[in-house]
Amino acid sequence: MPFAGFNMPINYKTGIINEHKNVRNHSGIFDVSHMGQILIENNETYLHKLEKYIPLQLKKLIKNRSHYSFLLNKDGGVIDDLIISNIDIKNKPYLYIVYNASRKKEDEEIFISCAPNAEKIYIKNCLFAIQGPDSINVLKNVIDIPENMNFFDILISKYNNNEIIISRSGYTGEDGFELSIPNESAENLITHVLKNENTMLCGLGSRDSLRLEAGLSLYGHELNEKITPIEAGLSWALDKERLEDENLNGNKVLSDQLKNKLSNKKIGLISTSKSMLRDGMTLFDNNNNEIGKITSGCFSPNLNKSIAIAYVTSEFNTDNPLFCKIRKKLELVKINNLPFVKKNYRKNGSVYE
Amino acid sequence: MGAYMSEKKYTKDHEWVSIVNEIATIGISNHAQESLGDIVFIELPSVGNSVKAKDEICVVESVKAASDIYAPIDGEIIEVNNNLENDAAIINQDAENEGWIFKMKISDSNQYSELMSEDEYKQFLEQ
Repeated sequence: MPFAGFNMPINYKTGIINEHKNVRNHSGIFDVSHMGQILIENNETYLHKLEKYIPLQLKKLIKNRSHYSFLLNKDGGVIDDLIISNIDIKNKPYLYIVYNASRKKEDEEIFISCAPNAEKIYIKNCLFAIQGPDSINVLKNVIDIPENMNFFDILISKYNNNEIIISRSGYTGEDGFELSIPNESAENLITHVLKNENTMLCGLGSRDSLRLEAGLSLYGHELNEKITPIEAGLSWALDKERLEDENLNGNKVLSDQLKNKLSNKKIGLISTSKSMLRDGMTLFDNNNNEIGKITSGCFSPNLNKSIAIAYVTSEFNTDNPLFCKIRKKLELVKINNLPFVKKNYRKNGSVYE
Repeated sequence: MGAYMSEKKYTKDHEWVSIVNEIATIGISNHAQESLGDIVFIELPSVGNSVKAKDEICVVESVKAASDIYAPIDGEIIEVNNNLENDAAIINQDAENEGWIFKMKISDSNQYSELMSEDEYKQFLEQ
């Protein structure tokens, strides 16, 4: 199917549910080469310019660590969500940023305006996400991965004499790795990794159901230019000191929102029937008042029911019954805390959420 | 009229129909099953309803999308495949046999003869 200008598989041979379960129980490989990857020289001028859009203290980013963050517009709305890392390549310090394919145009306009020599490395590098509890075992026979690598650590390794960027990260709620590898070695690496029977190629369908079960936001669904990270329930990702900084886009809006009540809140939903909850469906309270909308919905293979993420008005008391309009009928839906499944990230060799 | 089993026919909405003794059995084609992907739920039609050709009468939900099922010809719904209630994935495993969805008593056999033969349906898919 067409996706952000790419022709992408929804699933491979065995189907979405099987791919999903294989990632939760073993491991799966996603080709996410459509995503944006850019290298920006880590110098003070560039950092200061980028800090207008990115709500982090970029000078204080720890070397070999990644951070989840955003590009913000003047109203504090989300231009894009991204992963930004501080990493040395060939002894030179860089910021390595991975961002959404659907937002390349908007994001790159900003990156290039801040750092004219920023290098779009997705042109020469593929990006693969190997996800699931067995990912470390699947990968360690193929590339060198330090035993003590934690979730959101990032480093440079080698494959076929090519430098590759490895981060312990992903967007499935599972342990896993993302590899940025030069195009000419990409096929070799994937063929090599696929020799392990515990892993398989996975498409966009399972990528979506895995991130939704993990309660993770997706740009264009939970996030857009009219929603701030605080409204999206992602205030943990903002550096609070930066909200006092006039140089940050929307800093006043954001600090006000932190102090005051929001108009909407993000909730998780589980279907009480076998019907599927889907993006765009409308939600109603007991008195038939429209109180919100679903932003993402899918079938959850782990719960064997349909699940969804929705925004509802803050006044709605989540102890009250909530109904979703599915085709012509109103169906009762259950409110569930996000995430729907426990996260399975690694720190100091053990699992943490 | 003696018992006879007709050839299986197909609609442009990717449903199959086969007729035994004026009773039509209807399901979705193997091609439809493949394009929908994992089927997780089916809302079965109500037995006893009289329907017209092209009426939306039930819904198949897959992990990808909801898809309407239409009555292929006029008639009355006389039986539904209750096995699908608990395991809609039967349609993925065997769309054109065990995965049948409902049966109808048909009122106009001319409508049936206007549907596509298996070969015609294959050509239709290639277009």
